[in-house]
Amino acid sequence: MTMADVRCPMCSTINPADATACSVCGARLKPMIAGEAESLAGPPEPQEGEAGDWLARIRSEVERKAETSGEAPPRPGEPEWLNRLRPASGEEEGPPEGELPEWLSEEEGSAAGPSEAAPGEVPDWLARIRERQKTELEAAAEEAPPPSADDDWLGRLRREEFLPTEPEAPLGEEPEREAPPLGPRPPSRPLPPSSPPAPAAAPPPISATGPPPSGRIPPPSGEKPAVSQAPPFMGISKDLLEGAMPKWLEGAGPSSDEGLPHMPALVAEEGLAVTPESASDLQMGSIDIPNWLGDLRKDAGVAPPDAGAPGDSLARATLPAWLEAMRPMDTFRPVVEIQAEDAQEVESAGPLAGLRGVLLAEPVVAMPRQPSYSGARLEVTERQFALADLIHRMVEQEASEVGPKPPARRRLPFSRWAIAGALFLAVALPALLGAPSLSVPTLVPPGLPALITLVDSLPGDRPVLLVFDYEPAYAGELDAVAGPLLEDLMQRDIRLATVSTRPSGPPLAERLIRRIGDAHGYLNGQDYVHLGYLPGGPAAVQLFARDPRESLAGGFLLAQEPTRRGMWSTPVLAGVQQFSDFGAVVIIAAGTEIARTWVEQAGPWTGASPLVMVASAGIEPLIRPYYEALNPQVDAVLSGLPAAVAYEQANGRAGDARLLWDSFGTGMLVAEMALILGGMYGAASFLLRSGTGTSES
Amino acid sequence: MRLRLSLLWAAVASAVGLLVLAGFFIQTPILIALGGSLVGLAVLLAGVALLLGLYNLLSVHLRKISLQERGWPYSALLVLSLLGTLVLGVFFGPDNPVALVLFNSFQLPAEASLMALLAVTLTLAGFRLISRRRDLLSFVFVGVALLVLLGTGPWPSGETSDTYLLIIDVRNWLAQVWAAGGARGILLGVALGAAATGLRVLLAADRPYGE
Amino acid sequence: MIAQELLGPAVLVLFVGLILGFAMLGRRWPAVFRPLHGLEALGAAIERAVEAGERVHLSLGTGSVTGADSAPAFAGLAMLSRVAAATAMSDRPVVVTAGDGAMAVLAQDTLRSAYDRARAQDRFQSTSGRMLAPTPFSYAAALPTVLANEDVSVHMLIGSFGSEVALAADFGERQRAFVLAGTDDIQSQALLYVTADHPLIGEEVFAGGAYLNVGPLHRASLRAEDLLRTLIVASILIGTVLRTLGDLV
Repeated sequence: MTMADVRCPMCSTINPADATACSVCGARLKPMIAGEAESLAGPPEPQEGEAGDWLARIRSEVERKAETSGEAPPRPGEPEWLNRLRPASGEEEGPPEGELPEWLSEEEGSAAGPSEAAPGEVPDWLARIRERQKTELEAAAEEAPPPSADDDWLGRLRREEFLPTEPEAPLGEEPEREAPPLGPRPPSRPLPPSSPPAPAAAPPPISATGPPPSGRIPPPSGEKPAVSQAPPFMGISKDLLEGAMPKWLEGAGPSSDEGLPHMPALVAEEGLAVTPESASDLQMGSIDIPNWLGDLRKDAGVAPPDAGAPGDSLARATLPAWLEAMRPMDTFRPVVEIQAEDAQEVESAGPLAGLRGVLLAEPVVAMPRQPSYSGARLEVTERQFALADLIHRMVEQEASEVGPKPPARRRLPFSRWAIAGALFLAVALPALLGAPSLSVPTLVPPGLPALITLVDSLPGDRPVLLVFDYEPAYAGELDAVAGPLLEDLMQRDIRLATVSTRPSGPPLAERLIRRIGDAHGYLNGQDYVHLGYLPGGPAAVQLFARDPRESLAGGFLLAQEPTRRGMWSTPVLAGVQQFSDFGAVVIIAAGTEIARTWVEQAGPWTGASPLVMVASAGIEPLIRPYYEALNPQVDAVLSGLPAAVAYEQANGRAGDARLLWDSFGTGMLVAEMALILGGMYGAASFLLRSGTGTSES
Repeated sequence: MRLRLSLLWAAVASAVGLLVLAGFFIQTPILIALGGSLVGLAVLLAGVALLLGLYNLLSVHLRKISLQERGWPYSALLVLSLLGTLVLGVFFGPDNPVALVLFNSFQLPAEASLMALLAVTLTLAGFRLISRRRDLLSFVFVGVALLVLLGTGPWPSGETSDTYLLIIDVRNWLAQVWAAGGARGILLGVALGAAATGLRVLLAADRPYGE
Repeated sequence: MIAQELLGPAVLVLFVGLILGFAMLGRRWPAVFRPLHGLEALGAAIERAVEAGERVHLSLGTGSVTGADSAPAFAGLAMLSRVAAATAMSDRPVVVTAGDGAMAVLAQDTLRSAYDRARAQDRFQSTSGRMLAPTPFSYAAALPTVLANEDVSVHMLIGSFGSEVALAADFGERQRAFVLAGTDDIQSQALLYVTADHPLIGEEVFAGGAYLNVGPLHRASLRAEDLLRTLIVASILIGTVLRTLGDLV
């Protein structure tokens, strides 16, 4: 932007210096009264270049016109426009001195309502002014352009680039209200002479809703109507809007030749400062409005004198509904009430210094400001207090919760070591040193005589099936428990066949039979045979019991080639075709489930052959009901080391059971002592804590 | 497609289960034969699944060795042992003397030691139970355990005293009446639970074979 | 004899009818079960493990698929589906071990299904379900390695166990883990009462699915079990009275 360019006061568009209207919005760029703008800017500063030239031209013109019109040159300190006011003629003479117009006296008491005066109370001076204005309107109406198809205001919009189409309702008022008088006149200024308009030629009333639909307000003579209406707050006279040059503006300068109404620039020309004193001259209320315009409002409601308007050949325009809806009048109604110019603050810093009506930079934007609220104490509502209290309690609860267990220190397991050491000593000392030695049980278990009798009654020509269904971990107990029974069978030269549903069963069987059978000369393949591993778990038990020859494909440690035919053809299994051909079935088991499976799945297939259970002491309570039932499925039970020791004594031969009896006894004693000591410790700690709690309470 | 496959597997599982169950209750030759065949097939598949489990075991430990995670030397020892015994059993039979030596020298003592460890663990657990968890049930539990131990093991003073005879009678009464009765009740409940679990599988509510 | 032969099928049909009936009545007549402290504390323990970046271990026992000892393992698989769903997006998902190859395969299938439902198929690893050892005590011997290397803080033993379950539970206690254990073997249950923090006694191991809301049929089957148990108790009492009166007469 150069020094010659002009900034549009409406849209801030940069325009060339010689432009009179903005190329974007059409607003007037040069003030209507060139001298007035100059006076607002204060004493003109010497300008260089074109900017100074045109101003000098304007000044020279003003002086020339003043000289020609006989007007006094502008006195310093007085606005030029005041000097240019024509001296009122006799007809235009205002109210006599001392007499104030009614509207002026009623100004303070009335609201924005129109000040209606009774027709009979029109002062003479006012009548004269109205008459004169009416004449001017009639003359202007003759030169009015033909009305367009649309409303006149719309046609003028199309002709002019930008014209405000604000309804006449003043700012901040209801649209349906009648527009108030166009600004109060300052009392110091005399009313411009105006002639009351002729009733017949009165232009249609200017309603707040918009331009009269029936016609247009005839512009002043010689002037093309620029706008049909303007916001009343602008205080712009109708003739000004329509292009008529008010009397007081005549001879203002080049801008008057164009006849385009415009409002004084709110932004001073570049290089011109707007002083507060001069800015006050821009008050909207200071612009003279012809009284005929106010009378037009008073006549609102009168039938539009469309037919009677002299020279008005325009038909009353009717707006279509869609066009009626497009009236931008409401949109021009600012939401924010603009303060009067006097009340507006003057910018004192920055590039907009000296201007009114601009956003103040420093107090609002640049400079920090104190908060509007009294910030010494935080205002807390009840709800906020409740929420804060809730959060406080939640935090407290969180702190009071039992946190995760921290990594415990690696404490030495003294109790575990102590018990393990005691047990080891209790088991090892009798085995290594032979002491202490405990007495063998003298009481005979209830089921032992029946077992001994049963074994005594077994046929010697039929093999006995031994089921080794226990894990190697139980070998220590079950080898000792089953040993006396095997001894008894071997003493009677009964052939033995072994089978197992576990892969570790056959090796366990071989180990036990080899250890006991060596003393009796038992040989594999002649006196005993291992039928091997029976796969399939419990499901295979029933299949084996149903048909043993078909269920087992091979053996274990067979003396000859493992074929199905070979295994079953050995002398050990001579005569065995089905499960019931065995002389007896002895189940050696450590688990409840497998023991019950053999009893329930294979028991029905034993026929007359007895079924003997050799079980760990732990499962005896679950197996005994099979033995003690009315229709027992188990014919004999041998369970626990005491029963095995008693059996060995009945056989008259000491075996593994007797060897383990002392260690077994001392180990049991250690376990009993551990339980007793634990009970004593628990009772003592309970009593101590309860006593401590009682004393504390 | 996936839904159809899952419905197919569910239908197969339910059908096979119902056939075996029907063969158990309805003693007709065809159902018995069919049930037997299906059970045999299940046994065969269980054996194959054992091989799958061994393959899974190998893959886990081989991965551990390759990544040298914590304890990888033990995984290497396990893999070597597994492969060694597998080769030994496959080529020389499971009853070859070397396998028996390995069984008698390694597996049997190791598992017997674990059983001994169990004895220590149970004794310590009993001690802690009575010393820490001081409620009525814990006292009853430990008291009954003490009575059974006293009635089972030998007394240093011999077995002629009246007290010993009384303890023996109480022990037998506890074991054969209370323990047996309670065990039977628990067994009934376990049987009901097992039956319900099996029925859920037959009704395809439980699909352990995946969906 | 015919009545005895028909008794089994009749009980079976009654059981199925009760399950289906309770399943249909489930919404209108919701079930109320007695509190099981172990199962109720399991959820919080799993959440804590997930948040702490620790692992949940579920053991399906040493039983086989083809026997009666597979029932508690199937109950464990039902609980596994819920546990896997809860830990699928964790840094350390659940790891399942078994003492049987077929059970390990079933565990893998259950895990795969759970990850599919959670739309986390890429997070599934086949080694999450593994067979530790083929025999019970060797399985128990391999557990400390798993518990230590995998940073297990929740140790679940739901399956068929023998006496080795006491060792397994004790290993978890020494690891200071949350130990929830249940089996069908009575002897093992007695051992668990002493060694585990949260033992499941009796048929409580089969109630895990109902307490963890695996499905409506789980709750219905538990209600059916309760009803049948009541009927059995009543019949036992009546039979005892009748037998006593008969003896007296």
